[in-house]
Amino acid sequence: MDIKAKLKQILIEELNLEDVTPAEIADDAPLFGEGLGLDSLDAVELVVVIQKHFGVEIKDMEEGRPALQSINTLAAFIESKQPR
Amino acid sequence: MTAIQINGLGLVGGFGCGQQALLGALEKGEVSPVAVALRDHHIPLLQADSAPLENFLNKRALRRIDHFSRLALLGAFQALEDAAQPALDKSRLGLVLASGFGPLTTTFDFLDSVIEDGDICASPTAFSNSVHNAAAAHISMQLQITGPNLTISQFDQSLAAGLLSAWQGLAEERVDAVLLGVVDEYCPVLGHCWEKFCEIPGAQRMTPLDFSRMTGIVGEGAAFFLLQRETPIPARYGRINSVKVGNLCGSKPQLEIVRPLILGCEGLLNNGATYGQYVANGQPVACYSPLYGASPVSPAFDLAVAALSLQRGLLFPSSDDGGDYYQGGVIRETRPCSALGCLRFGNDGEYAVIHLSRGDL
Repeated sequence: MDIKAKLKQILIEELNLEDVTPAEIADDAPLFGEGLGLDSLDAVELVVVIQKHFGVEIKDMEEGRPALQSINTLAAFIESKQPR
Repeated sequence: MTAIQINGLGLVGGFGCGQQALLGALEKGEVSPVAVALRDHHIPLLQADSAPLENFLNKRALRRIDHFSRLALLGAFQALEDAAQPALDKSRLGLVLASGFGPLTTTFDFLDSVIEDGDICASPTAFSNSVHNAAAAHISMQLQITGPNLTISQFDQSLAAGLLSAWQGLAEERVDAVLLGVVDEYCPVLGHCWEKFCEIPGAQRMTPLDFSRMTGIVGEGAAFFLLQRETPIPARYGRINSVKVGNLCGSKPQLEIVRPLILGCEGLLNNGATYGQYVANGQPVACYSPLYGASPVSPAFDLAVAALSLQRGLLFPSSDDGGDYYQGGVIRETRPCSALGCLRFGNDGEYAVIHLSRGDL
């Protein structure tokens, strides 16, 4: 499973988005606000989930804000932090 | 203040969801437990299904709310809906949530996650739901209740403790009404303790009036009551005249022998015989715990049965038709009822007696 598909599955399972399927999450759609509708509490949960599943730490807001924009940005951030 | 009225009921337990489900179970006299996996085998459980909560809230609103809080929310929504008082001022509505164990499953899941993945990977949502007053916070937010909010625990006397707190708030006129809820849930750790300490060999039917055997089955659920001060308008479900608590070390429960008693025994040897010791043989008694199981929430279901009995003016036949102690007194057929009591003994000699009468008396 590629990283974007895994991210979508984890988002649905860990954030209990029972009303959403992976196919309904567009790679470039905003995760927060009008996109997937996540909020600030989800952001905190996401930081934990990313570390737990990918071993990648989001250290602060400066790093987190651009990374948590969409599935595309999150996947790129994780790939950039994972050892090659 | 001489009494408080019960004007709304919300129920979810092993018998199903709502008053009709409990009434159906009372008429049938039994509820079948489900088998839940525990390690390499199964144990019986009178399990409560919180799915009907989706009639009140959409899935998105529920996604951060665990089973414990969902049970509480379901009971709270039902009780307010049942009371049908659209003019009720939510800023003058108190909320008292009582629980013997609190959110057990989430608490242990959270602790497991800390042990397995370290505290840096512990879920903040699981943490927030493991806080003891999380369920009351969910209710307050979802139902817009802004009055005083209290979460209380006194193990299996939590109902009595909650009732006394509600009574105090009403007597001091700090609130116009109190939404009192008792909620408890099953979790595998509880199942493990149940097996280890109670040594109950896979019972499928509780016979709590047989004090010589362990027959308890674990239960879970929520029971909510909308309580108000006495008014000239009769209570919908009866009035609570008194709540007496004490300990056998220092006092004895005051029981009126003419009044039927709902006994809170639940198939456990350690306190079962206490009922036989302190309730006179010949006193009319009934026990309904086989319909909802052994749990700190059971006394609240007893109170709900009392409330429904007073509303109908009829007491239901006991779900257990009796062991050696109460052969002469067990209520085996529906009978008229205008006043009754609920008696609950705890494990260490503590007791609670709640006296109720019909709302129009």
